[in-house]
Amino acid sequence: METTNLMTIVAEKTVDARGTACPGPLLEAKKAIGILEIGQIMEVLSADEGTRVDIPKWCTKQGHEYLGTLEENGYYKIFLRKN
Amino acid sequence: MENKKMCMALFSGSLDKLTAAGVIMSGAVADDMDIDVYVLMQGARAFLKDIAENKDQLNMSENVEYREQFIAACKDLNVKEWHQFFMEAKEIGNVKFHICGLAGKLWGGNKIEDFVEWADDIVGISEYITAAQNADIHLFI
Repeated sequence: METTNLMTIVAEKTVDARGTACPGPLLEAKKAIGILEIGQIMEVLSADEGTRVDIPKWCTKQGHEYLGTLEENGYYKIFLRKN
Repeated sequence: MENKKMCMALFSGSLDKLTAAGVIMSGAVADDMDIDVYVLMQGARAFLKDIAENKDQLNMSENVEYREQFIAACKDLNVKEWHQFFMEAKEIGNVKFHICGLAGKLWGGNKIEDFVEWADDIVGISEYITAAQNADIHLFI
């Protein structure tokens, strides 16, 4: 998804994992995805470089749709849709 | 579809290797893997009730001069302590901690009550071998 489109997304769930290092954000995402309905969007906020790579791969393995990542000031917003 | 299985032989009772085991475990439960951890030798010492949460009782696996740096950096980075990783993995996924009967006895742990309450059972070596044979991933840490 293009950056401009990502910026218009209103996620149903935001996971703010900026205070934790790997694997904290991944685990926070794992815990949060359970409460989402299929088709809903989650954004994961993380300042961890490894997480930026991890979440898209995790989405592929788990069957969720990785929508893209926005680089903010000192952290990333990673978007995914639950499938 | 059946979950993939990880079998981990946790030989080490060192702070850094226990932490690494916790990180790996976290990744595996995020992927919905079933995990069986077989706690061997010094690993069993770390699982003792009086030891697990007491960092002063645990050292580094090597380069012990970096122990304080390691602890301080983990704190700065908000990295969980090893036992917190283990407990969280168990809360999220299907994770079982099996204490080797011999290893427990080496450190005075004869009954499951002698170990952390999230340890599941005391087992013999055959259980570990069977789990290792059936696992998709097998690690020795």
